[in-house]
Amino acid sequence: MHWTARIGCVFVLVGCLLSLSSGMPAQESASGGTLVVKGAKIYPISGPPIEHGVLVVANGKIVAVGEEGKISVPAGATVEDASGKVLMPGIVDSHSHIGIDPNPLVADSGDANEMTGPIEPALRALDAIDPADPNIRMATAGGVTTANILPGSGNVMGGQSAYVKLRGTTIEQMLIPGTIGGMKMANGTNPKGYGRRDLAPMTRMEEAALARGIYEKAQQYQEKWAAYNKAVAAGDKTAKAPEHDLGLDPVVQILEGKRIVHNHSHRADDIMTVLRLADEFHYRVVVHHGSEACKVTDELAKRHVPVSYTMVDSPGGKLETINIDMSCPGMLEKAGVKVAFNTDDPITPSRLLLRQAALAVRGGMSTDAALKGLTIYPAEMLDLGDRVGSLQAGKDADFIILSGEPFSVYTHVLQTWIEGQKVFDRSDPRDLRYATGGFFEAAHYPSLAEGGK
Amino acid sequence: MRVLRLALCFLAMAICALPVCAQKIAIIADHVYTMESGAQGGPGMVLINNGKIEAVHAGATAKAPTGYEVYRAAYVTPGLIDTDTTAGISGAYNIPHDQDEDEATDPNTADVRSLDSFNPNEILVSYINQYGVTTIQSAPGPKNPIAGRAGIFKTRGPQSPAATADQLAMRAESAMIFNLGDIPKSTYGSAHKAPMTRMKTAEIIRHALSDAQAYQQKWDTWKKEGSDASKQPSRDVRLDALLPVVNGTMPAVFTAQRADDIITAMRIANEFHLKYMLASVTEGYLVRDQIKNAGVPCLVGPIMQRLESPQTANATYEIAALLEQAGIPIALMSGYEAYVPKNRVLLFEGGIAAANGLGMEKTLRAITIDAAKILGIQDRVGSLAPGKDGDVALFDGDPFEYTSHVLGVFVNGQLSYQRK
Repeated sequence: MHWTARIGCVFVLVGCLLSLSSGMPAQESASGGTLVVKGAKIYPISGPPIEHGVLVVANGKIVAVGEEGKISVPAGATVEDASGKVLMPGIVDSHSHIGIDPNPLVADSGDANEMTGPIEPALRALDAIDPADPNIRMATAGGVTTANILPGSGNVMGGQSAYVKLRGTTIEQMLIPGTIGGMKMANGTNPKGYGRRDLAPMTRMEEAALARGIYEKAQQYQEKWAAYNKAVAAGDKTAKAPEHDLGLDPVVQILEGKRIVHNHSHRADDIMTVLRLADEFHYRVVVHHGSEACKVTDELAKRHVPVSYTMVDSPGGKLETINIDMSCPGMLEKAGVKVAFNTDDPITPSRLLLRQAALAVRGGMSTDAALKGLTIYPAEMLDLGDRVGSLQAGKDADFIILSGEPFSVYTHVLQTWIEGQKVFDRSDPRDLRYATGGFFEAAHYPSLAEGGK
Repeated sequence: MRVLRLALCFLAMAICALPVCAQKIAIIADHVYTMESGAQGGPGMVLINNGKIEAVHAGATAKAPTGYEVYRAAYVTPGLIDTDTTAGISGAYNIPHDQDEDEATDPNTADVRSLDSFNPNEILVSYINQYGVTTIQSAPGPKNPIAGRAGIFKTRGPQSPAATADQLAMRAESAMIFNLGDIPKSTYGSAHKAPMTRMKTAEIIRHALSDAQAYQQKWDTWKKEGSDASKQPSRDVRLDALLPVVNGTMPAVFTAQRADDIITAMRIANEFHLKYMLASVTEGYLVRDQIKNAGVPCLVGPIMQRLESPQTANATYEIAALLEQAGIPIALMSGYEAYVPKNRVLLFEGGIAAANGLGMEKTLRAITIDAAKILGIQDRVGSLAPGKDGDVALFDGDPFEYTSHVLGVFVNGQLSYQRK
């Protein structure tokens, strides 16, 4: 097929997908041509800020980023003037429960924790995510474009997470093509919830033993398949294939390095248990929450294990978060540990994820590391660093336009774009509600539904 | 020599352990927000003497008089006032040991007082002090329709001397807390006890207030008939506690989120001619005309409360601005949290209000002078005026900016926190 024909095909396909996203608010399509956003101060993340920048987008991808006047702007492009505003990559939330713990969160709607067994590797978050959850639109109002939606932390192994873009009306439209998601694990207080019902785990010892057990089982399963594959390769026609195990297949993907473990862990000794298990079974892991991660900075740094940190406003609420401190992300940065910020939505609101990184700056982190902690670092923690997290030619055109500097309390997210499509516009009164609130009232107070308050 | 040094050390500790330290403090700042009448935010100097504000001098060339310990800051404000919080009685660990905010054994616990649960050494009290909060109305939690009496306390910081709850109390019994909406009925209804519905919650409150009125009449009649000791009515601690509420000398605080619960609070308050205020008021913007017409002040917050509960799903970051624009007197509150984060920080709540329509200066009013006026403690706190308590917060930038820092906090003229 000639290359232009191939591009044409892709073009039609993209168009089809976009027309499917009918649940999204009215939006200007950039897929039909080239979009140019000019005038904004651009934080490309991959390089220093550009005072008067230009971003060129076509077919959902970034074509060029650079200084005004130094970038050739194609004729006939749609031009968006963002003078006086700030533009940066869409935020990547490496730990969220939007869609799986929807809003309102009542017994009927919450699907994050399958508290019937502490080891549940066969579960997939994508089977429980409700794309109509208003939390998803609230997240785009906060500038989030990519999220790792995880099962909850009630289980030692809680299930497979989903790497999604925040657009579309079905989970299939949300899933990032080619990704298989991560694996949720947890230790410390939460899985001990079983102990209250006289079930295992009742102690941290048992949590670790259960984790070790599933990895050993997966290793044996992996060996069985390796032996079978070897026999087949050697021409053994009598070789019998082992039975597939829904739960062990994703764990083998962890052992093969294809699936990253996202491990909820707060206390320093719990974090060490996470590292001990990862050392034993040689898998890739991200420490999530990491409330006491700054007590074991060197252990994290020497293993190159990153931390997806959850910044909350005060210590405690549970014993293992009693030492939470705003200075922790900055200490991790100084030790050479990569830090991302996550919402753990509904624990913190997605629309204020920028705020978390800003508070880390207050606690001593550099602005540069804080910006990376919202973009490229979390992207890397999801193996999506080649696709999102910075503004570079060839990457997905996921970006946000801000009214001012990213870390000012007075700054608002004005627009959120995913793959060249506007998914949030603060100037639209219906969208504004997802940034400020009151969107739920339309159901109860129909006369107030359109704009007026 | 060593003995002498030790003795001096003890003497210094003894002096500073007194409720008021006789230290002279001068705070020089680029932007002074006195919250008194007149323009705010100009350069100036605040003098504290003997625990009280001595003077506030305007102007950039202000030089500290001799004998004053000098502190410098970009911004200076009065110590912040949290009008409704469970800090001090609901601890950070969130284990039975430190949870003393909800006596959920009876829907009417009018006789309990937060003072008797208040732990002056609670981590969260010290924590909020580090964010400029110097005065709190510490209130019983959200579970009982009649939850008991709040108290107003000064906070301690990491550098404050030891103090008892009684020493920190500005007002031992400042308000009676009433709770409407989902939480009382889920607390009791799940155990098949009353209240199971909003109807019953209202009835329990109405019943108790009616009983208190009858109780008052009984005592009035007894006094009118000559106070014969043999005919003296028997005392009832619960009704005693409600007397100042029905007599209008103690404000009632009605915590309500949903618009109809707010209206129910107003209905009950009007029936019994209560002096009252509304707290939380999540959906208050939907009934702001009614609130305005009733002339009732609102304690608003927490602005960043979670939206998962159906009764908070309509929350908006613009709530403070919407009520203020309607002409309703407002102050901010941090309220109660059951989980992480265990306590909202008033300064951070203010930031979200300021950025969502209320603006910096009006938000500052809502956590200083207006909060003091609504609680009726403006003679002592809420602004930087001569004679008021030496409660001051120092910042290195706009107090509400995420990346600003609190440089220091004074309570009664004593340094409770200083940034390292």
